[in-house]
Amino acid sequence: MSSTSQKHKDFVAEPMGEKSVMALAGIGAALGKRLEEKGFDKAYVVLGQFLVLKKDEELFRDWLKDTCGANVKQQGDCYGCLKEWCDAFL
Amino acid sequence: MSLFVEDPAYLSKSRLKSDLVAHNVALPPTKSKKEVYVDLHLKHIAHNNAAEFSSDEEDQEEDVADKEEDAEIPDPSCLTDDDLKAALLEHGVKAGPIVASTRALYENKLRRLLQSEGHGCLNGVEKGVLYSDSEEENGEKEDEESGSERAKEETVEQSDQAQQRSSQVESRRSLTTSTDSERELNGSNVQEHWSRSTRLDKPIVDKYTINNQSLYYTPKESPCIRDMKLSQEPVEDMLQEMFPNTEATPTGICATRRRPIKGAAGRPFQYAYPDTPASPTTLERREVERRLVPFQIQILVFVIVACLLYLIYVCVEDYSFSPFVALLDSLDQGSDSEEGPLLQAETQDTPALSGQE
Repeated sequence: MSSTSQKHKDFVAEPMGEKSVMALAGIGAALGKRLEEKGFDKAYVVLGQFLVLKKDEELFRDWLKDTCGANVKQQGDCYGCLKEWCDAFL
Repeated sequence: MSLFVEDPAYLSKSRLKSDLVAHNVALPPTKSKKEVYVDLHLKHIAHNNAAEFSSDEEDQEEDVADKEEDAEIPDPSCLTDDDLKAALLEHGVKAGPIVASTRALYENKLRRLLQSEGHGCLNGVEKGVLYSDSEEENGEKEDEESGSERAKEETVEQSDQAQQRSSQVESRRSLTTSTDSERELNGSNVQEHWSRSTRLDKPIVDKYTINNQSLYYTPKESPCIRDMKLSQEPVEDMLQEMFPNTEATPTGICATRRRPIKGAAGRPFQYAYPDTPASPTTLERREVERRLVPFQIQILVFVIVACLLYLIYVCVEDYSFSPFVALLDSLDQGSDSEEGPLLQAETQDTPALSGQE
């Protein structure tokens, strides 16, 4: 199991509230901007997409790749971050 | 192929809208006519389809695509949401809601599943042709190579076969390897594992077919999937012998759920109130009530004080009540000893006062 980043730990530590999409692990400035352009301006909107895809890893990774061009590592980080958040708070 | 041109006109306006959104195309103003949507649909989605088909350069691949579409369900983007969901279910995928944002993903998934199925069937057919041509050569080779690793075996087999076969066979083999590599590129982790496991299965399966000379390759259609499954049952024991450490999961991936983070993820409410879940206000009330004097004692004290006050009032106002006379007598007796010296003081004072006047 790979170690998680500080960003991941910060995100999973509390309810996301109105956090920006760039607070998600794996989503930096560039990817965050692309997501915002597509309308995913808050982390909870990406969470919504994650839940609509029934938390499926493959589908969510594909969606991330198609929407903002995330690479495999970034996809994995974002998926792991959201999944753990859901395990804790959902 | 002409279906793609005709369909958008037959689709409803809402359906066209969802298709456009799924393909990330900007929607025209909401009150625009259906024709506008149809045009956009044709432009972008037909453009996508044209791009897909232009990449198919080899004739064999196009034939494969045609065969696929004739045999299987037609292109996923033509299906309705319900049909798409049913098609995915046939392939064993439980799809979630098919909404504008998820539709494109599910279509891609269905396409991938159709391609992998088609390639799997074709590989089986081709290998049957390969091995049915010269079984003895293969038998000898596999006996020699049984000690080596499976991946090496496969590549050695491939290189030997490529050398000794005709050009037709070589081209077919190159097709299978290219499709294998395609599969790896297209698939995700799950599919990569699946393709790896199938590649592991193939050399072993070849062994069995050569030894048993079983009819593995004659049916070309869906039974090829069944045959793959049947061939895997005797094969599984071999795999487990070879790789005793791997667990019996369908993809070979073993993952444990991560322990949830306690301080952050634990519900704070549980630790603060371990007993019955009482609200904070009721607990406060209970504590306050513990400190205050109990209610009944308060009433008793009140009654006693009221009686005392009443008695005093009566004593001051009226002397006629007999029960109070006894009280007064007792009081007087108590006060006689006190009033004695007081009276003397008063008598001394009053003559003094009268003397002055």
